[in-house]
Amino acid sequence: MGEIELNIGPVHPATHGVLRLKARVEKDTVLGGDVEIGYLHRAMEKIAEQRLFNSFFPNVDKLEYVSALNWEILYASVLEKALGIDIPPRAKYIRVILAEIQRIMSHLIFIGAFGQDLGNITVFTWALRERELLMDIVEKISGGRLAPMYLRVGGTEYDLPEGFDSMILPVLDRLEEKVNKDYKAVTYENSLFKMRTKGVGVLTRDTVKKYGITGPNMRASGIERDLRRSEPYFVYDSLDFDIPVEDAGDSYARFMVRIREIQESIKILRQAVRALPKGNYINKQPWMFKIPPTEAFVRQECPRGEGAMFLVTDGGMKAYRLKIRSPSFYTVQAMPEIIKGARVADLFTIIASLDPVMGEVDR
Amino acid sequence: MIINFFYTIVREFFSVRVSILLSVIILFIIALILTVAAPLILGWVDRKFAARMQSRYGPMYVGKFGLLQNVADFIKLLGKDVLSNAYVDGLAFNIAPLLSSAFAVAMISIIPLGSASLEIINLPYNLLFIYIFMALSPLLVMLGGWGENNKFALLGAFRGTAQMITYELSVLVVFMSIAFVSGSFDISAIVLSQSMVWNAVYFPVLFLVFIIGSLAVIERAPFDMPESSQELQAGWRIEYSGLRYGLLIVGDYVKLLVISMLAVYLFLGGWNGPLLPPLAWFWIKTAIVILVLMSFRWSLNRPRIDQLLDIGWKWLLPLGVLNLVAVMVLWA
Amino acid sequence: MDLERFRERFGDKVKIDKNILTLADKKDLIRVVKFVSKYFDVLYMLIVVHRPPKFELNYIFSRYQDQEIIQIKVEISDKENIASISNVFKSAEWEEREAYDMFGIVFRDHPDLRRILLPEDWPGHPMRKDFVVTEEIKHWTGLDLKF
Repeated sequence: MGEIELNIGPVHPATHGVLRLKARVEKDTVLGGDVEIGYLHRAMEKIAEQRLFNSFFPNVDKLEYVSALNWEILYASVLEKALGIDIPPRAKYIRVILAEIQRIMSHLIFIGAFGQDLGNITVFTWALRERELLMDIVEKISGGRLAPMYLRVGGTEYDLPEGFDSMILPVLDRLEEKVNKDYKAVTYENSLFKMRTKGVGVLTRDTVKKYGITGPNMRASGIERDLRRSEPYFVYDSLDFDIPVEDAGDSYARFMVRIREIQESIKILRQAVRALPKGNYINKQPWMFKIPPTEAFVRQECPRGEGAMFLVTDGGMKAYRLKIRSPSFYTVQAMPEIIKGARVADLFTIIASLDPVMGEVDR
Repeated sequence: MIINFFYTIVREFFSVRVSILLSVIILFIIALILTVAAPLILGWVDRKFAARMQSRYGPMYVGKFGLLQNVADFIKLLGKDVLSNAYVDGLAFNIAPLLSSAFAVAMISIIPLGSASLEIINLPYNLLFIYIFMALSPLLVMLGGWGENNKFALLGAFRGTAQMITYELSVLVVFMSIAFVSGSFDISAIVLSQSMVWNAVYFPVLFLVFIIGSLAVIERAPFDMPESSQELQAGWRIEYSGLRYGLLIVGDYVKLLVISMLAVYLFLGGWNGPLLPPLAWFWIKTAIVILVLMSFRWSLNRPRIDQLLDIGWKWLLPLGVLNLVAVMVLWA
Repeated sequence: MDLERFRERFGDKVKIDKNILTLADKKDLIRVVKFVSKYFDVLYMLIVVHRPPKFELNYIFSRYQDQEIIQIKVEISDKENIASISNVFKSAEWEEREAYDMFGIVFRDHPDLRRILLPEDWPGHPMRKDFVVTEEIKHWTGLDLKF
């Protein structure tokens, strides 16, 4: 029938957001394609130039909406680096705890959406059920579920609630039990699932290095690199955890890396909650402050890769230029090359396993 | 035979020809009611079962325990606007759902409904006839896919047909083996021959082949690739809406009921069993089989279409044929 | 990372300050970037800062085996164009498209320079400091519609 152009349009239940993929298909093989982004562009960087530093926190939440606190932590870190201030140790531990909670939540959504794209709707509801438990905790801490505007320059807005460890430790136990038993039976130990994901969408190391892909996608192709280990920020150097690496580079490997990351995050959380020091939770700054003219660059390990922010200030109360580097931007850029040679039915598997979130691609 | 029962009653009052006509009409109405009741009840079970597996409640408000939810949905489907693409092929487009539900009514009419002479019409070859009605589904899929005048629907119809034809062969081999062993194509006779030992004990491999094959023939998840709602947006059924869609769903659930009943008749001893009356035994066994088949839909993900055809041709069909040959050799 | 080798190679065409290299002339960009590509794997970020009337481009390169990064600063003025580095670093393709989209900087020899985040026919380049929301843009975005 020749070559047809299959438009997997921005409005599609299986594209993880508004991503437009124009694939050229011949019979059952994809020859290549074009990716079009920009359907969720909200001019975050321009707004950053028009808001006071502290007033921009709500916008940073909406960037990667499945794990909002990671980006808030990044923005607070870049402001603190530009100001040159330190944060008290309790604030560092709180930030680590929040970052890992949000990482687990983001990976749970990945599991659910991946299973759903393959046809198993039950896993989606199970993953959301576990995510609800964590969201309850985030709500008790900060007051917001999906968009907790909790971080401030120098620490956090409120302290952790009393009895925090008795809140979170049972949740972690239950999460570990579910991931190691229930999800195993319907996903990673299930032969139908393995049949569908092994060998599909292989991402070679050269492609990873060519496009600058980072995060779990990179670790599933055999490159062992994690900013929490190689460039430790906050208190990661005093916590004991492993970095999961797989060699195969296919969708199954990407899934397994994220499952292991959930298990590692549970380990980190247990240690951090036990080691939480008492004391100040914020190094309080005035609400409106000026930053002398400087440049600050901070990068941290977000659930999808290495996120970074570059802040240029000019001595005023607003940022002069804030540039946000989102890891999914580079993953989506590499998509036309990854889908070459795949079957049409595997397109959705590949897109789901790369886990892009359009909120941070388009900003 | 139920039709006999009504004939004897009606014959008291009318002449032969009129009473034949009347009994046929009554039986048609009964078959129609049963055909419509199947998706209503099975649909409720499906939805509640799926909901409880997924930590949610399922239908709760319409009728006690949500029992009337499917009734409400069916009435909603009746009230929908009759939409169709301007270029559909009228005959092909409309005939596919009509034939699908007509075959459903036919299957319900000839299959025994739980005990020895409790079928609506008695045919000595009812296993073969049920197979014929199920085996005509690829034709309906092609008619529907062609009639919709939509390139992607046609692709989905090709895949559905390929899947169905592959697995029908395995199911046919299973039926032939069982008929050979029991000596007849009549379901009542097959059940009678299992009064000592169930066939599933002698032929576990055939049982497995039957379960997998028949799930793939009726296009039920996890084998619902042609209709996969996450990827291809309903495949070959994409242009069907309203009443036509409802009739296709009726066909689906009736086929699910029929294959569960067949699994019980052919392999699990039909209505044989100690203490309880045969009717109770039969429906208990069928209920268990239906619940197991439903749980497959909600807990497994789909294989790819080429993987599915692989399994059908490379594994199920050879296994079934080997088993048939072994049965013929051992019995002779 | 020891940037001495850059000083040896390029002499006074670059000014080195910690790990920030400032190029004196934008024509040397391709040669410097090719030298960088021997030591670094990927373009990490491209930050364009508009200090009217000049644009300051910051290229941040990073590599996979350790945490070293290097930042290269170039200044161009309005209406000038600059060579594209997407032949050397493939990950620069979309970053340069975004710089063109937001600031209007034209990159020579770019394989596919068109708007990436905004629609194809959007008027103006919004991240510039002299960007004003004109009537045309208000109508484009529907800000002036009354319901």
